[in-house]
Amino acid sequence: MELILEHISLRFGTHVLFRDYSLRLEDGGLYGLTAPSGRGKTTLLRIMMGLQKPDAGSLRPEGLRFSAIFQTDRLLPGRNAAEQLLFVRGSRKDREAALQFLAGLLPEESLAQPVEELSGGMQRRAAIARALWAQSDVLLLDEPFTGLDPDTLRLTMDFILDHRQGRTLLLSTHQKELLQAYPFEWLSLPEL
Amino acid sequence: MKPAKSPRHTLRGLLILLFWVGIWQAASMLVGKPVLFASPLDTLRALLRLLPTGDYWAAVLGSLERIALGFLLALLLGLTLGVAAFRFPWLRELLAPLLTMMKTVPVASFIILILVWFGSRHLAVIVALLIVFPQIYFAALSGLGSASPELLEMARVFRVGKGKRAWQIYRPALFPYLITACGSALGMSWKAGIAAEVIGTPSRSIGEQMYLAKIYMDTAELFAWTLSVILLSMLFEKAVLWLLRRVGKTWN
Repeated sequence: MELILEHISLRFGTHVLFRDYSLRLEDGGLYGLTAPSGRGKTTLLRIMMGLQKPDAGSLRPEGLRFSAIFQTDRLLPGRNAAEQLLFVRGSRKDREAALQFLAGLLPEESLAQPVEELSGGMQRRAAIARALWAQSDVLLLDEPFTGLDPDTLRLTMDFILDHRQGRTLLLSTHQKELLQAYPFEWLSLPEL
Repeated sequence: MKPAKSPRHTLRGLLILLFWVGIWQAASMLVGKPVLFASPLDTLRALLRLLPTGDYWAAVLGSLERIALGFLLALLLGLTLGVAAFRFPWLRELLAPLLTMMKTVPVASFIILILVWFGSRHLAVIVALLIVFPQIYFAALSGLGSASPELLEMARVFRVGKGKRAWQIYRPALFPYLITACGSALGMSWKAGIAAEVIGTPSRSIGEQMYLAKIYMDTAELFAWTLSVILLSMLFEKAVLWLLRRVGKTWN
C-alpha cells in the first residue's frame, strides 16, 4: 500500500526538525533513509507510526498497519524468542510456526532461552523476526543492524528480504555503505 | 528459588535471637517484678500452659479467620479499585480524598466508630481491611504505572490486544509492587486487627484473651499471647507470600 506524508512540520522548542517535508513510498518499495545522527530519522519513523504528532501535515492513507524495529529491541523480559513473536501475532497454538520462522535467523539452542540470556546480536535478530512475523502493510526498521557483524548483517538482510512478503520497507541507517549490494532506493532528509 | 541458608547463617540468626532473649531476661531481672515484666522463662511456661487448652486454639483460629478475611477482602478491593483507578483517572481523583483520609485517620478512631456502628463481631475484619486496602491500592497504581513505556509503545505499534498487553506487560510490572505491599501490609493487618480486638473484645479472639490477661495482671500470659501473635503474623506472612509467588510463577 502506498504511503504518503504531506507537508510535515515539526519543531522542538527552537529546533526545527521538519519544515513542510513530504514523502511518498510506493507500494512494495524498498527504501533506505540515511542522514547524520540527530537529523530526525527516528522522529520521521515515529511520525509514520503515530507515536509522534507533527505540528502540521498528514499521513495517508489512515489505518495503515506498521511493523517496526526500534532503536532498542523492546523485547518482553523473561520470554523466549518465539513468545516475542506470538505477542504480536497468534497464540500458543502457533508456537511451532513461530519456531520454524525463527530457525532461519537464530541458532536452535537459543530458542528456548529467555531473551535477556541471548547475546545482543541475537536479541536484535529476535526483534527483527518479530517485525517480519507481525501482520502489517509497512515495515519500518530503525537502525536494524546495530550490534551485528558484517556476516550476520548479510544473513539478516537476506532474511528480511525473503520474509517481507511484498510489504513496503523503509530502513533508516547511518551504515549505507554496508547495504550497497541491495536494491534500496535511498532517501535523505533535507538540510534546514 | 531462594538459596538454602547456610549452617553459618542459621547459627548467626540463633545467636542474634539468644542475644535479645538475654536482654529480655536481664531487663526482667532488673525490674524484678514478674507481675510487671515477665521473664522469657515465665512467658514460655505461660505459653506451654495455654497451648493444650481449647480456648487458646479457639482464640487463635478466631483471630486468624477475621484478620485473614480482612486481608483477603482488602487485597481484592485494593487490586480491583487500583486497576480501575489506573485506567480511569477520574476515579483516581474521586478516590483520592477517601484514601488520604484512610491513611491519616488514627486506627483508634476507626475502631471506635466501627464499634459504634457495627459492634465488635466483625471489628478486626473491617480494621484489617481499612489498614491493608490503601497499601494494595497504591501498590497497584504504582506497579501498573511502572510498566515499561517502551514496551507499551511497541505493543501500540503492533496493535497488540488489550488482554495480551495486560498479561504480558502490566502484570509483570504489577507483581513486584504487590508482593512488597503485601509483605508490609500483612504485619500491619495483625497489629491493627489485634489492637481492635483488645478494644472491642469480641469472643473467641486473641485480643479478648490479652484484655483478660491485663485485667488479671497476668503479664506472663500477656507476653505469651504477644509471642503467639508474632509467630502467627510471621507464619501468615510467609504463607501468603509463598502463595503469591507460587501463583506468579504458575502464571508465567
